[in-house]
Amino acid sequence: MTDKSASPIKVDIWSDVQCPWCYIGKRKFEAGAAAYGGAVEVEYHSFELAPDTPVDFDGSPVDYLSQRKGMPVEQVTRMLTNVTGIAASVGLDFDYDHVHQTNTVKAHELIHFAKAQGRQLDMKERLLKAYFVDGRHVGRIEDLADLAAEIGLDRKEVVRVLTDETYLAEVKADVAQAASYGIQGVPFFVIEGTYGVSGAQDATSFANVLEQARSEREAIK
Amino acid sequence: MTDAATTPEMIPERIPLTPVGDPSAGVCVGAFCAIPDDQEQAIVSHRLDEDLV
Repeated sequence: MTDKSASPIKVDIWSDVQCPWCYIGKRKFEAGAAAYGGAVEVEYHSFELAPDTPVDFDGSPVDYLSQRKGMPVEQVTRMLTNVTGIAASVGLDFDYDHVHQTNTVKAHELIHFAKAQGRQLDMKERLLKAYFVDGRHVGRIEDLADLAAEIGLDRKEVVRVLTDETYLAEVKADVAQAASYGIQGVPFFVIEGTYGVSGAQDATSFANVLEQARSEREAIK
Repeated sequence: MTDAATTPEMIPERIPLTPVGDPSAGVCVGAFCAIPDDQEQAIVSHRLDEDLV
């Protein structure tokens, strides 16, 4: 008989706030962890997909992608429509018509601040929903402070730490650690520092690797 | 004083991981988030089912 209530399986997740597969993958991972049934400890890490994006990008995600990738507008529109459909399949109501393309470094700093307050998971979820579902801006300090206050964090303290870049070093350390793992895209899940899971896998895949990690831990006891 | 020409480049040490899962799962690289072929086909099939195409 195995004890799944013993020490939790550690899962480190590299993710960006304006990454659709990260939000979709988050839901799939949560379903996989629920199916696994044991204790899981999650820690999110920063990954900047497009660090050179201006905070106030003047245009829609379609404009951004078509300019960045040189893709025809029709192709980008179809791609976003398809991603929206996949998001709906996991219960997420993406609204690309109202998404504000931006730079996410301040959002990552906020996630680190929230971690220091023991609220990282709530902040991560709030930021993803704010960006993809609610049409909120996740690049400006004042907007981020509003979102932090909505989950109960101290708004003034958030403005101070984001203005002072208190957690910027932690963001950059996460990015450097991602490089050391060879991570080039997100979401990316590291299970017990051993297994690397790239992308928004099916829930079953996540459940399987969690079970595998648990059984290997049992075997070396 | 450090001679710049001999200062070692800071290359992060690679930490090996065992890859698991479907290598074609949806992932974002740079600003681009590709949709795996199987999921794109699933969307089309879904729309056909609902007479949306």
